[in-house]
Amino acid sequence: MNSANTSTLVNGRSVTIIGDGATTLLDFLRDSLGLRGTKEGCNEGECGACTVLIDGRPVDSCLYPALAAEGRIIETIEGMDEGSHLSSIQAALVATGGIQCGFCTPGFVMTLTALLRKQPNPNRNEIVGALAGNLCRCTGYSQIVEAAVSLSELGKES
Amino acid sequence: MEFRRSGDLDEALTSLAELGDKAQVLAGGTDVMIQLERGEISPETLVHIERVEGMRDITENGRLTLGALLTHIDLAQSPVLCDRYQSVAHAASLVGGWQTQAVGTIGGNVCNASPAADLLPPLLVHGANVLLVSKDRGEREVPLVDFVVGRRTIAREPDELVTGFSLDNSESRTADVYKKVGRRGAMEVAIVGLAIRLSVDQAGTINDARIAVCSVAPVPFRAQAAEQALLGTKANGKETGSAAALLLEQAEPIDDVRATARYRRMVLPRIFESAVAECYSRAASDLS
Repeated sequence: MNSANTSTLVNGRSVTIIGDGATTLLDFLRDSLGLRGTKEGCNEGECGACTVLIDGRPVDSCLYPALAAEGRIIETIEGMDEGSHLSSIQAALVATGGIQCGFCTPGFVMTLTALLRKQPNPNRNEIVGALAGNLCRCTGYSQIVEAAVSLSELGKES
Repeated sequence: MEFRRSGDLDEALTSLAELGDKAQVLAGGTDVMIQLERGEISPETLVHIERVEGMRDITENGRLTLGALLTHIDLAQSPVLCDRYQSVAHAASLVGGWQTQAVGTIGGNVCNASPAADLLPPLLVHGANVLLVSKDRGEREVPLVDFVVGRRTIAREPDELVTGFSLDNSESRTADVYKKVGRRGAMEVAIVGLAIRLSVDQAGTINDARIAVCSVAPVPFRAQAAEQALLGTKANGKETGSAAALLLEQAEPIDDVRATARYRRMVLPRIFESAVAECYSRAASDLS
């Protein structure tokens, strides 16, 4: 087994990626960096619990090779809080009751962060479409969608 | 397992020429990483091509060329595809969620050669050729119908890389649609997938008909008999019904975790008839 060393930015911090070709970004984040906020759900791209942002795009980190992240900008749930404050999306999820067991929440926060950066005022269909790849088995989704709607001018109208 | 980055096409081809079938090509990783995890493949080296330049373009020059590294989001959001190759854009928008579409590529979807690959029926109805290149033998072009030779089996030589796909020009009075049946509206593997491309003459008579399906046989296929049945017609109910029967004859659906063969046989003619009606009315909408 070969290993290769290369560097990338994770939540603004330069880190060296350690692993072989089969090492997933998820395993690297959790096991090498100790960033356990990113969750492993299905491990095959169905549930979105492991969603992180790679150059701003939401990606299932369980399916992305760690070494492919060389030179890319990685954002995880640990980088989402604004100092000691929750991000607006996190706060909205708390306010609407969009969190129950919490296992899926980091993935939802990452996908919604990507959506709201790209489209600050998404309508309800855009929100639901963006969240298609994130599963939640507690809330029934309504409260999660409401959290995003509460941040969007368009969503409030529809 | 070695991970070899390819900065450009030449590096990728050199790696493949050296490693042959010991290498697994990897772009977005959404299929390959699952297969590694499950132990279905065990290459010595992953040849990473995600950042090879010049393979993520859409160009028109008589035919339409799609670079193999175009992601599903690239396809779904392309103005050219949304305008004149709607089946391709729509099928891409139905593959997995945003996370998969953001990195999964058209080259990967085709080379994975799943019986349920959503992009195969639209590419088949647009007469796609697969563009391949190797270090020693240069470029070659293979019709997609001859490229996907079996369930998860393709005609790529171990030293070749798929660089893109060349599609027939989509002329006026031509329309295409993709219809997918799943248990829910998103994140589904197709129970049945169907693409149709129809062209009509000045009188509204069909003079080119192309039909392709996935998830009803080991390999997605063109339904030539059904295509012939639509030629020279204006796609009225009876003629479409006859074509549907011919399409069904060619289908060999199986029972699997997603649906029964019986269900697939029931649903296929129904989505076919609605797809023909929609496609015909769009193709004929150009008539003045």
